[in-house]
Amino acid sequence: MQKQELEKQFETHIRDHQLLLYKVCRIYAYTEADRQDLFQEIVLQLWKAFPKFRGDAKFSTWLYRIAINTAITGLRKSRDFITSYEPAQLPMLASHDSAGSAEEEQVQQLYAAIGQLNQVEKALVMLYLEERSYEEMEDILGINQGNLRVKMNRIKEKLRQLTKPLHYGTR
Amino acid sequence: MELDDLKQHWKQTPVPNNINTDIMKLIQHKSYGPVAALKKEFRKQMIVMALLPLFLLITTVDDPTKALTSILFWSYVAFCIVVVAFAYRNYRIADKMQNMNSAVRSNLEQQIMLLEKRLQWKIVGLRLAMLFFILLVEVVPYFQHYRMLDKWHALNPAIRFGAYGALLLLQYFTNQALNKHKFGNHLSYLKELVNEM
Repeated sequence: MQKQELEKQFETHIRDHQLLLYKVCRIYAYTEADRQDLFQEIVLQLWKAFPKFRGDAKFSTWLYRIAINTAITGLRKSRDFITSYEPAQLPMLASHDSAGSAEEEQVQQLYAAIGQLNQVEKALVMLYLEERSYEEMEDILGINQGNLRVKMNRIKEKLRQLTKPLHYGTR
Repeated sequence: MELDDLKQHWKQTPVPNNINTDIMKLIQHKSYGPVAALKKEFRKQMIVMALLPLFLLITTVDDPTKALTSILFWSYVAFCIVVVAFAYRNYRIADKMQNMNSAVRSNLEQQIMLLEKRLQWKIVGLRLAMLFFILLVEVVPYFQHYRMLDKWHALNPAIRFGAYGALLLLQYFTNQALNKHKFGNHLSYLKELVNEM
């Protein structure tokens, strides 16, 4: 395939899945600058891997694999980036109009709690929110479905515990 | 609020305007991940080690035959070739680490395996280099005369071999500390991720 044709195909695919990529960045990076850096790095890794994409898996599955792999294994510019943030202090969604309302506050609390999960749990939460089937999650993460279901229940419980003190105003 | 209640909110995530969406421009950038940094380091190592013997020759430009007939010079050339070969091998390993097509768990396991393999190669390589240096210092005076080595050989063999032993021991500890500093944290981080799965 000609390079130009390959570039064109790649660009179309990325444009179609841009939101999906941004959501990965949103889960794994906490400032706009970091999100942009991560977005760029993921696109770069996708571009490198694109010629090897044979269509065995769904494009979105392949894309999730590379995006999550890049996000969790690539310690970025500042080496302590992954652990140095304070999730509770960094709202993950700053652009919504309803900021300040009780519901929005709960949403922000839940996002902050998600920010406190480990890297694997975050991937699981993101795929769950994206309503991916457990079968597809298995393809992406390489964890068997039974284990995924157990993990998902534990995560839900963990998030309940993390947001509980906030509801009662003790935190 | 439960995680399931967040789904609707999550679906409405807007793409921010300030994110660079010029895909073709983005792919022109260089990668800055840890594997890309490793590859850059190996490329640099290969270039420097390939050029060093040339620089050495340039410094003896007034009498090049002196360098060309020196056992030490040719040993150094051999050493540089071996280092370049090692760096190339490491570069290939890092290249394999950049393949992220597989599922997250198997990708992590592969990264751990390759990184450990690379560390083993490095340790073996550095030990061999040290043994080569010791052998050279011990053997060269039998073939060529070097004033500096004469002084060294005038010392009691027990002191000489004691010094070699101390050097090897020092290398063992500095290697461990250096590897832990350079890759150890990243390796532990990757292992931690696999344990979380």
